[in-house]
Amino acid sequence: MNAQAFKTLVTRELWEHRSLVWAPVVTAVLLVVGTMLSAQGTGSVQIDLDGRESSFFLALSTDPKVSSQLFGIWTSSLIIPQAFVGFLVIFFYLLDCLYAERKDRSILFWKSLPVSDEATVLSKGLTALLIVPIWVWLLSLVSGLMVFGIVAMKVSGTPLAPLGDFHPLVWLTSQVVLLQNLLLAALWYAPVVGYLLVASAFAPRSPLVWTILPPVLLVTAEKIVFNTSLVAGFIAHRLSGFFDHLGGLLTHDGEQLSMPHVVTAIDEAYRGLSAASVLGEVELWMGLPVAAALFWGAARLRRWRDAN
Amino acid sequence: MNQPIIKARGLRKAYGSTLRGKPVVALDGVDFTVGAGRIVGLMGPNGAGKTTALKAILGLTPFEGELSVLGRDPRIARDQLMSDVCFIADVAVLPKWLRVRNAIDYVAGVHPRFDRAKAEDVLARTEVRRDSRIGELSKGMITQLHLALIMAIDARLLVLDEPTLGLDLLYRRTFYEALLNDYFDHETTILVTTHQVEEVEHLLTDVLLINHGRIVLDAAVDQLPNRFVQLVTTAAQLPAARALKPMYERELFGRHALIYDGCDPAELQALGELRTPSIADLFVASMQGVRQ
Repeated sequence: MNAQAFKTLVTRELWEHRSLVWAPVVTAVLLVVGTMLSAQGTGSVQIDLDGRESSFFLALSTDPKVSSQLFGIWTSSLIIPQAFVGFLVIFFYLLDCLYAERKDRSILFWKSLPVSDEATVLSKGLTALLIVPIWVWLLSLVSGLMVFGIVAMKVSGTPLAPLGDFHPLVWLTSQVVLLQNLLLAALWYAPVVGYLLVASAFAPRSPLVWTILPPVLLVTAEKIVFNTSLVAGFIAHRLSGFFDHLGGLLTHDGEQLSMPHVVTAIDEAYRGLSAASVLGEVELWMGLPVAAALFWGAARLRRWRDAN
Repeated sequence: MNQPIIKARGLRKAYGSTLRGKPVVALDGVDFTVGAGRIVGLMGPNGAGKTTALKAILGLTPFEGELSVLGRDPRIARDQLMSDVCFIADVAVLPKWLRVRNAIDYVAGVHPRFDRAKAEDVLARTEVRRDSRIGELSKGMITQLHLALIMAIDARLLVLDEPTLGLDLLYRRTFYEALLNDYFDHETTILVTTHQVEEVEHLLTDVLLINHGRIVLDAAVDQLPNRFVQLVTTAAQLPAARALKPMYERELFGRHALIYDGCDPAELQALGELRTPSIADLFVASMQGVRQ
């Protein structure tokens, strides 16, 4: 299998599952249009800048470090809605990708061509883990710049004008960090993708049920027999553990809005944009051979599973 | 003859585990050989094991016994094998969402022996439009598209599994015509299964009849006249004709037709009219012979 043929396999996935391409585009457009409408409408930026808070914001926005960090945080966080939509379409794509071809018997056509089951499964896994996330990242990069432009125009001439300053280096750094996070997430979620591929290749019908049922049964059985929740904890860690490595603005929630606190919080949140610390987690590395085994299993299932 | 294209020895396949009761034997120790450049009809009633045999040849199902296709074991080398083998399972397998243009792009992208210009050329002679989705095409047009893709691949073995199922007469006729005129070059080997025997009998060089998982007839078409003879006789001659052990007999408007395998025509001549049975006659004779 050469690179050209593999590229064809990935392209094929995007032909079949057009939502992988278009859902993130629609989200990006909605984000930009939504920002534009709210900037145009009557809901202009209304912040009560009286007394203490006014000087507080002024201090924040004139401190070059804080202001550039704030810029990095809010422009990066624009990826969140797009990443969420990307996550949803990838999930349903994976459930469908090895099931639909059996259901409509087109598997016989795909198998009449010199493409191995391993290459097929790999092309689907990489579409989910790399191709779509990178597409989401590119769209978020472009739409983020547009949203920033709209906001910058809106705040110009107000006391919040420093929010409209563009910080090229911070922007570049935070975009690289976002891309790096997506790649780290690919490593972390590779076993989950492998599991979904196996479910899709195995399911006699309704891959969603076949995906959810085994873990639910395991968790329930463990709860009844041992009254423990080890499996549930394990699954929960695999699903959400990646986000433990992303710092959040919320950690300082409820504390006094005092200057030193906020500056520290912003600094922490800015540093917390990178999930690089996940590399230190042994479970990340343990997941990789498991992912490889699951990919292999999905290929084996596809090889002998009879088309209905 | 050159190296055989397909060689099967003791090919066996049973479906269903012993845990769930008696397994169903689809292929029961089958031996056969397909030589290069032959057009072989693999025929039998529904459930005889045709499709299982094809699936084994195409690496789509595991099996017991020995099977070599173009010198490879299809169980472990399906993907390499498919560089030299083409197959049309039946018209339904092209996915509905795929556009005609993309179908060509895809095969061109993954198949090292695909001639895009040739596929475009064949397709230009049909009414299939490039930007249609497969789901928008008629069954006949889907077959034309599939055939255009297949004919542009320089394959050594072409496997057709009930390729004209569900097509109207016009498309059925042109399907085989296109195949013979534009594709068959006496180097490619074609293996075709069908239960519409009349449709293919004039193009075959060999017949393989299969029933209940066993080969009941394996012969070259040009050898059939030497081996089989059909006698049409009257009721008066029937006891004498039966004494020569026909493989099959039937009654038609008061006359009796009997088919013999390996019987000397000189012995039969006195009993009535002789002629060479058609493949369809032999098909029926072989199937009923086994049932008795």
